[in-house]
Amino acid sequence: MITHLKNGKIYDPAHNKNGVIEDIYLYQGRIVPKPFDLDKISHVYDLTGKIVMAGAIDMHSHIGGGKINIARMMLPEFQETKSYTEPEAHICTPNCSHNATPSTTDTGFRYIEMGYTAAFEPAILPINARHAHLEMGDTPMIDKGGYAMLGNDDYFLRLLNQKADQKAINDYVAWTLHATQAIGIKVVNPGGINAFKFNQRRLNLDENNVHYQITPRTILKSLSRAVHDLGIAKPLHVHCNNLGAAGNFQTTLDTMGASDGLPMHLTHIQFHSYGTEGDKKFSSAAAQIAEALNKNKHITADVGQILFGQTVTASGDTMMQHLNAKHANPKKSVIMDIECDAGCGVVPFKYRDQNYVNALQWAIGLELFLSVEDPWRIFLTTDHPNGAPFTSYPHLIRLLMDKSFRNEAFAKLNLDAQAMSNLTSLNREYSLYEIAIMTRAGAAKLIGLNNCGHLGIGAQADITVYTDQPDHEAMFAKPDYVFKNGELVVKDGKVVKVVWGATHVAKPSFDIGVEKILSEYFEKYHTIQLDNFKIADDEICDDGRGSIVSCKIN
Amino acid sequence: MSNTSSSQSNATCPACGLLCDDVIVTTQGNQVKVIKNGCSKSVAFFEQASDPLNPSIDGVAVHLNEAISHVASILKRAESPLITGLSTDITGFRALFGLSQKINANLKHMNANSISRNIKVLQSTGWQTTTLTEVKNRADVIVCFGSNIAAHNPRFYERFVDVDGMFVTTKNRQVIVLGNTKKTPHIKSDTLQPQGLSPQNISAEADYSCVRASQILACSPEHLPAVTIALRALVAGKTLKANKVAGISMADLQTVAEKLKVAKYAVLTWVAKDFNFPHAELTIQNITETVASLNQTTRAAGLVLGGSDGDTSANYAHTWLSGLTLNDDEIAHDCLVWVNSFSTDKSPPETNKPLIVLGMQAPLGITPHVFIPVATPALDCAGSLFRVDGSVTLPLKKIRESKLPTLGEVVRKIEALL
Repeated sequence: MITHLKNGKIYDPAHNKNGVIEDIYLYQGRIVPKPFDLDKISHVYDLTGKIVMAGAIDMHSHIGGGKINIARMMLPEFQETKSYTEPEAHICTPNCSHNATPSTTDTGFRYIEMGYTAAFEPAILPINARHAHLEMGDTPMIDKGGYAMLGNDDYFLRLLNQKADQKAINDYVAWTLHATQAIGIKVVNPGGINAFKFNQRRLNLDENNVHYQITPRTILKSLSRAVHDLGIAKPLHVHCNNLGAAGNFQTTLDTMGASDGLPMHLTHIQFHSYGTEGDKKFSSAAAQIAEALNKNKHITADVGQILFGQTVTASGDTMMQHLNAKHANPKKSVIMDIECDAGCGVVPFKYRDQNYVNALQWAIGLELFLSVEDPWRIFLTTDHPNGAPFTSYPHLIRLLMDKSFRNEAFAKLNLDAQAMSNLTSLNREYSLYEIAIMTRAGAAKLIGLNNCGHLGIGAQADITVYTDQPDHEAMFAKPDYVFKNGELVVKDGKVVKVVWGATHVAKPSFDIGVEKILSEYFEKYHTIQLDNFKIADDEICDDGRGSIVSCKIN
Repeated sequence: MSNTSSSQSNATCPACGLLCDDVIVTTQGNQVKVIKNGCSKSVAFFEQASDPLNPSIDGVAVHLNEAISHVASILKRAESPLITGLSTDITGFRALFGLSQKINANLKHMNANSISRNIKVLQSTGWQTTTLTEVKNRADVIVCFGSNIAAHNPRFYERFVDVDGMFVTTKNRQVIVLGNTKKTPHIKSDTLQPQGLSPQNISAEADYSCVRASQILACSPEHLPAVTIALRALVAGKTLKANKVAGISMADLQTVAEKLKVAKYAVLTWVAKDFNFPHAELTIQNITETVASLNQTTRAAGLVLGGSDGDTSANYAHTWLSGLTLNDDEIAHDCLVWVNSFSTDKSPPETNKPLIVLGMQAPLGITPHVFIPVATPALDCAGSLFRVDGSVTLPLKKIRESKLPTLGEVVRKIEALL
């Protein structure tokens, strides 16, 4: 039977619809044209005055896998911080628990309650992919997927060191996508995680990995080319070298030029936009980064906004996390080298608005949001949980949409930090249409989700309905309705039906001959069988809940 | 598979935390034989008898449905049920977790104490660790604290130490033993590269670590706290006034510290199960803080070994499903559910409350109120498990014929009656 959403105010940037009043019809999980036979309509929702958007998509959120589970294990105290009363923790939304390490069930519920219908785990170590999919398989309500990490694995660095041709690289990258059931490729601190295993402590874009004599630039060039050649929609996801270091903005600017004009996505760019000016040798370089982003049309970025309060940072970047471990709060951390594949570093962190560096990090993120002109190329993330838990998105949206709210928050910050930021001179206020681009249409286009992020005929019927109100935090925190695959799953901000989303993957074609060389490598150096490295479709689908959706290959 | 023809396959062994997935077995009907890459534990596991088993109530064979409804009626009456043992794979554990939510039961793994020793360190200071492929390819100095590793993980040396890696050859690897040592008569102690510890050339009780070691500093388990803190202090550059600690000369301990400092990639390993003394977590922390100290200037990593009965898997899955790790709290109960899929030699804790057993066989010498035989993952049904080092999950295959229901199937039927 057909569901009729009547008279809603539609924000659908993929179809240039900016607040038009239209009806939408849902049938068998899809958006369908207006039926000829109106008798088949079983449910009518009168959405007069309501805002209608596609379900939101989080294109970068650490929702499942090794490091987030280590964070849960290490931080039992986080499970008890349900009521957050500290004055500096102004990231509260009415329904959110602010838990930086939610269980898989909490993750799914908190996302769908905010109108998010998909989230993508951005850092799947290939060897840990089965674990990541097990966790995502236990995450209800939302669609999911992930980016497989390459560029620090010894197999790939050997290929580069032996000057393997691009075809060998492409085949390996494609094979990895298949084996790990991922939708994109990520590189974290290109070459740096590997270099740390050889006791190298920093790595700049044009500096060699001591063992392989390969630079991060070479790695970026090779991987961005592979992703492009294979026809995967999602551009290479890049966590630049020098995460969090004062003065790292130059590395970030240089990285934009490393792919010879091929598309790249620079992730949590806030953490990579730091200068060295001022007495404290730490300053905002958001203006330079935003200017470069505006100019370099082949680059996209997500912000990785920080918000004040307790969280935990979980990253593949062992080199930089080992360096950051001295700032851990509470004082504990986990650093792991993993399987000649990559590594992980988990460091709990408390961002304080009276701390100069933290206050400026907050301002830098917002400066970036407001200075990057094209909302199709900048994405709303907190790099959950690294900058803040994803439950703080409604608060972040209000900061972007409401200048006076933003300036009031700014006025409470550390005074030295205020003196170093031009935030109050940025008058921009994001519109609902721009928010819909960043969190829906743009994210779907970036990842290659053709049937998500829009409200056109044939789209997956993932739809969020809000009540427009001046307090956009309240609005985005508690949708009136959320439909997942055409079913009503959230009413008045509360889950009314539990469903299980699909896993999105990309499977480009490749020469299976690559397995011959790989099996020799596995035999000699690995500690599991090649066949067991690969995740079969059944492992995701056989529990009766999961399903796989393959995105189009160009 | 048919009863008449024999087939050969590659199996993954759940008998210890290493999850060796290169074990070659032949299967004829429900008979399995290990023909290559086995060890004492994997042979015992794969070649276990598959007698036809019946569900029973108070020792009397009954139909499965009758046993299930009896379990449901016991659980309905229970106010504080405890599901323990938890020796199963991830799929099985997920089912048990679901049941525990439904009946408000506590969960406790049979290895709760050893899990907890490690977790306490993780939750206090954290740690810097590594995994088995890194050990194989990078470790040039390996220090074993307190354990006969091969007794827990029989093929540890064969697969990860006595083998050339990408960046280190086996003859350049040093093994140092610090702890309770047993000399073995089976292999000459001057042999630096024997053919690996396996049922063929050494008994499981013998301590291969000592055979392989280039340096052995013997001490009893109760002295490990003192020895590890002394080593930690020496590595941190402190001078100690004492000449000896627990019978070990400070000069000898200093040589260990020096070897660790010049190593390219030192690995310090322990088996928490053997640290059976009060506040063992502080000893583990001495080891992991030694690693942290080394990592200020060179590279080193801790390595968690041991692991059995799906303990890593149960703990990991419990963590993502609930947000919290399993713990070792003493829990009062009015009904006990004992789940044991992997170890015939393990028995439920003593109880005078109703006992329900789900597993490979009824425990010896005990007649549970209800016993329901379930399929053993990696033998009778497919599944998946975490390796002891935490980052690797491997699929388990069904390798012999079995008509037994899986744990998940049984649990779902029980839940349907609640």
